[in-house]
Amino acid sequence: MKNRPFSPFLLFLFATASLLSSCKKDGDSQAVVSPAQPTVGTVSFEMDNRVGAKALALDGTAYPTAHGETFTVTTLEYYVSNIKFSKADGTSYAAPGEYHLINAAKPATSSFAVSNVPIGDYTGVSFVVGVDSTTTKSDPLALTGDLNPANAMYWAWATGHIFMKLEGTVTSTSPTKPLTCHIGGYRAPYNAIVTASPSLNGSTLLVRADHSPKLYFSADVLKMFDGVTYFALSAFPPTMAPSASSVQVAQNYAAGMFNVERIQAN
Amino acid sequence: MRFAKLLLARRQLLARWQLAAGLALGSLLAAGTSCEADHDRLVAVPGSHQPANFPAMVYGLDKNAPDAATFELGRRLFYDARLSSDGTVSCGSCHQASVAFAHAGQRLSPGVSGQLGRRNAPALQNLRWHQGFMADGGVLGLELQALAPLTDRAEMNTSLADALAKLNADVAYRQRFAAIYGPGTIDTPQFLRALAQFTAALTSANSRYDHYVRYEAGGTLTSQELGGRALFQAKCASCHATELFTDESFRNNGLDRTFPRDSGRAHITARPTDAGRFKVPSLRNVARTAPYMHDGRFGTLAQVLAHYDHGVVPSRTLDPLLRQPNGQLGIPLAAREQADLLAFLNTLTDNDFLTDHRLLAPQP
Repeated sequence: MKNRPFSPFLLFLFATASLLSSCKKDGDSQAVVSPAQPTVGTVSFEMDNRVGAKALALDGTAYPTAHGETFTVTTLEYYVSNIKFSKADGTSYAAPGEYHLINAAKPATSSFAVSNVPIGDYTGVSFVVGVDSTTTKSDPLALTGDLNPANAMYWAWATGHIFMKLEGTVTSTSPTKPLTCHIGGYRAPYNAIVTASPSLNGSTLLVRADHSPKLYFSADVLKMFDGVTYFALSAFPPTMAPSASSVQVAQNYAAGMFNVERIQAN
Repeated sequence: MRFAKLLLARRQLLARWQLAAGLALGSLLAAGTSCEADHDRLVAVPGSHQPANFPAMVYGLDKNAPDAATFELGRRLFYDARLSSDGTVSCGSCHQASVAFAHAGQRLSPGVSGQLGRRNAPALQNLRWHQGFMADGGVLGLELQALAPLTDRAEMNTSLADALAKLNADVAYRQRFAAIYGPGTIDTPQFLRALAQFTAALTSANSRYDHYVRYEAGGTLTSQELGGRALFQAKCASCHATELFTDESFRNNGLDRTFPRDSGRAHITARPTDAGRFKVPSLRNVARTAPYMHDGRFGTLAQVLAHYDHGVVPSRTLDPLLRQPNGQLGIPLAAREQADLLAFLNTLTDNDFLTDHRLLAPQP
């Protein structure tokens, strides 16, 4: 004799019930846990966009390079994501969901705070300059806020964000020459997802419940073209797609663009 | 006996469950009349079913549940030329319902200011079943796909931010979006998901061929068509595979020796081994989607078959399937075989799809 674990009628009921209930918005409220002792704190970041020793201005100011060229900047935008704090014992804390688009034209975007950092003494910090491949390929529903493709930091044709965008003019050539540097791409061999690990210069980042330190970074545009690989601006190809040179630019800015200028203990 | 007793106990338990479940269902029904309405609307959206002969959907119905109001909104967006930079080009300008949403007779399509695009406008059909989009596979999702033609300078030439600003400045659109997604600013996910409700609805699964393989009424093929089908399975189906008639791979089918203007898949992967490789297109409605190839170089299917028979040229990335063991290139096809293949390809025309008035531009 055949055993029928569920009658067709019962199956129908469950199927219908689950169909109906799936229409409902998920209104479950999670239980609120309030720990007696705070176990997390906040770390603030401030990015100071510079060209060598000078503050970056998007007003047509011409800046010299170390190699005798001059250029202006009209656009500088980049992502900082996947922020990680590490301790002397080798353990680390990776802050989830941190995606920040820094736009030199919008000063408010230069600073942001990372909350829920476990209290502790941190000796290192690192971040991806760009967006990880999982996120950049994800459903547009996830692409809100700083990740929104509407921010014009997105290549629709290749499904992915532009990680770093610099536009301006090389003014030392005659005639002058547009400078277009859009760095992105997450597919081998031209994967431009890079991590910057600027030194804390021997300092320790003390994260406490009543202690919210702030990291002041400089972000030096000159280092994009002069580092592991040197590019003469006059010869830099217009870059709006993944390429060998765009990976070299990414390696340059990962290695040298970002420096910790000071840490405010707060 | 003991077994029968157990069975009885089990039945009683089941009966109790059924009663309890029935009561629960009753209360759900009482509270969920709006859900019933949702279900009715779902049924009203074209193309929102799984044809029995198709593989599983990639963009499943659960991803962006089909709903009549959202579908209608997506349809409106698809045909709205105001989304382009100069208000002259909509998605529907280059993707026409009567030719399976390809561009009738256009090798390349003019975008804003009459600039020609780089590639032949592909047919849009059965997109729910596709992993990647564009001839180079650069776009990974149906929702994101719309961004490529929207922002391409030679197509609609609009930034996403500008398109959203136009929608938000339009009272009628604000009302339509608010009715679906709630009050507030129209944002990227709302825009892309509404548009995807329309593009996902472009299901073509009612050709005579489909009726034949599903043993449905009207599903008869002539002996010539059946002969063509056998030839197709022997000579074409390794690339034009499955009921979608594409394996979605990228292949170089021997059109050119070099690829200076369009490197195809290599545009995305930057790998020299991908130069000249393009996505294998579906052949559904292929008798209606002329011209053919990524650059629209062939005006007729006869030219396409002639290419495979004797037009294939060598290059480093030429697909291995187009090299015969004797060194000959292409797929030898006698005149009679070509005629049979054409007869079979004509059975892939789905007039229900090509004439579905629900997929035409909405009344203003």
